[in-house]
Amino acid sequence: MNAELSSTPHLTEAQFGELLAAPARTADSALSPAEAHVLACEQCAAELDALRESLALFRAATTSFAANQLREAPPVVLPARPVVSHALRSMVLACAAALVLAAFVPMQVLHQRSQEAARRAASADTTPRIQHYATESNEALLNDVDQAASASVPDAMQSLANPGTMNDLSVQKSN
Amino acid sequence: MATENITTFPTGLAIGAGVRANPLDDLETVVALYQPRVFRFLLATLRDRDAAETLTQETFLRAWSARGSFREDCAVGTWLIRIALNLARDHTRTGRFRFWKNIAAHAVDAADVASFVPSAEVSSEARLIAQQQVAAIWETVGGLSERQRTIFLLRFLEELEIPEIAEATGLPLGTVKSHLYRALNAIRAQHAAHPKHAAAKNAKEDR
Repeated sequence: MNAELSSTPHLTEAQFGELLAAPARTADSALSPAEAHVLACEQCAAELDALRESLALFRAATTSFAANQLREAPPVVLPARPVVSHALRSMVLACAAALVLAAFVPMQVLHQRSQEAARRAASADTTPRIQHYATESNEALLNDVDQAASASVPDAMQSLANPGTMNDLSVQKSN
Repeated sequence: MATENITTFPTGLAIGAGVRANPLDDLETVVALYQPRVFRFLLATLRDRDAAETLTQETFLRAWSARGSFREDCAVGTWLIRIALNLARDHTRTGRFRFWKNIAAHAVDAADVASFVPSAEVSSEARLIAQQQVAAIWETVGGLSERQRTIFLLRFLEELEIPEIAEATGLPLGTVKSHLYRALNAIRAQHAAHPKHAAAKNAKEDR
């Protein structure tokens, strides 16, 4: 097996990445071809170990450095603590909304019904009244016409209505 | 805050038995637990201490405002890192950031980070080599594309699994892997060029 593996090329970029990025292998899991190659190839094994070591050092140094820098940083300003938890607050808000709806909907329905009833009553009242007014106004108009037709001729217009009396008046004046 | 407290983070907050409260309601605890992690990620991403501080603060305020949308389908830490990532992305896309990037007074220097290499190394020579390696990786990561850098940091600094990275970045798994492999290849190339490793590699090839 060693002779066969040593004749194969070294790990590819993807295989190296896979081995470095993969989580720690469990003892019972089967060896991948890349892992089998590393077991047989000293050069790849050494390079992989060195890279793993360097990456671990990088993480450790960055963590220590960040912790050191954080000591000088101002503390995080926290928002005011809620009196009730978020979940509880949501529940209270939902209940309040439901109560408002429960009170508002029947009131709205009642209001609509009363408005509708008032509208119906109003329309029922106004119809005969309109007919009554219409009849009254027609009668009044006819009465006016009759009165005007039967009215006596005014004094100023008497001469026109009776031309004979006009001539008598002019004779008396000339005398 | 002690360093050991932030090397390993809890994956999620413990919630009292039988009580299904939103873990983000206790913001003080959330900040105490995750501020170092969020700050570390932002510092490594932005490489500017002031910007990292500001966006760390903003991350927790956003988390507080959006806590109602946290459905616990991921760990609190992962959710916070996702917020921080979006904020960092918005921040780096502004022209102001690009302008100040080159002259930032609080820009992080690779040598400063490298000086924090754990002191477990026995000899001063080994420690010096380790510092050089860390500084070289820091520089290489800085030269990666924004997407490669983000994915690399999420995997090797925040230790998120690849599916978690895909979820946090909104990228398909295959895309995450290809960006990660390219980032690792850049680091591998830089690593191979390091005098220590180059000498060792040549010696092996001669044999």
